[in-house]
Amino acid sequence: MEEKNILIVDDEQFIRDLYSQAFSRAGYKVKTAGSAEEALDILRKDKYLVMFLDLNLPGMNGIDLCRQIRKNYPMAITYAVTGNASLFELSDCRDAGFEDYFIKPVKLSVLFEAADSAFKKLERWKNNNSSSKLHSK
Amino acid sequence: MKILVAEDDITSRAILQAILQKWGYEVIITCDGNEAWKALQENDAPQIALIDWEMPEIDGTALCRKLRVQERKYPLYLILLTSKDEREDIVQGLEAGADDYITKPYDNQELRARVNVGQRMIKLRNELRERDVLKGVLEMAGAVCHELNQPLQSVSGFSELLLLDMDNGDPNYETLKKIKAGVERIGKLTHKIMGISKYRAKEYMNGKRTIVDIDKSAESDQ
Repeated sequence: MEEKNILIVDDEQFIRDLYSQAFSRAGYKVKTAGSAEEALDILRKDKYLVMFLDLNLPGMNGIDLCRQIRKNYPMAITYAVTGNASLFELSDCRDAGFEDYFIKPVKLSVLFEAADSAFKKLERWKNNNSSSKLHSK
Repeated sequence: MKILVAEDDITSRAILQAILQKWGYEVIITCDGNEAWKALQENDAPQIALIDWEMPEIDGTALCRKLRVQERKYPLYLILLTSKDEREDIVQGLEAGADDYITKPYDNQELRARVNVGQRMIKLRNELRERDVLKGVLEMAGAVCHELNQPLQSVSGFSELLLLDMDNGDPNYETLKKIKAGVERIGKLTHKIMGISKYRAKEYMNGKRTIVDIDKSAESDQ
């Protein structure tokens, strides 16, 4: 079984700490980034297929980051987590390629379910078509 | 709808009152400019006023001018009643701040039509005002909620984590659960505020002031 890696992108340190602690406790390997640019940098080096992105980021916002990720890594499953629902509409998020959209404060159990379903989906895709290029860019 | 009449002549006043009431208006009667001014300072003052030009104390144009420099909570539609029909008079009346005028002796149907125009204008201005208020409320609400949601996430998330690691026999378990429930309640409130799509106010402190009614403002129109 592959390692379950999750990438968290949020500009607030305490939110990164929280999600990092929570997902680690749930058995995932977590990496965090404070900006979209940092996230793209991490993705160039390591493989992450499940991500939770804050939308209101300094520099490149979460919507554009998601578009970029989906372009570079089509198999990635991304979730939006935002504190300001009025700034970004659900339809914008779906259009950018987000799997789902959560408004802070969100229960950790809800995020755990999301992560679990994402990895199950990845597993199923992998088994359905072992020749699919899950890992290719 | 309320309408204010400012007319010093007793007969004209009685006729105006009778026909306006017949048309379904609630008529506030005043006998001179001063009285009209006072009546228009009330909290629930009428938004349409029929003002006679020539009155003792403050005359019609002076009253219009005085009202127009005032910052008012609700828009006001002013119709001057005048026996003057020279072009300069009309210009003077409109420049003083009147929205419209009607020349005496007036035709009832014309009066009714002009009052109806006033009603339409007031409706439109009220809607514009509501839109302005709503815009301000939404911008403020979005900004405040965003700022609140971040720390709320931290408190609710960390308390959830603590609960996961805590034995439910622990003396702090129930306390922590209450903290978490309280924070989740605030979270529901911020979500509701972010869903505000229109401006609805409610009375607060026995009507001394109004505040945004979050539940009604966040309700869907469908």
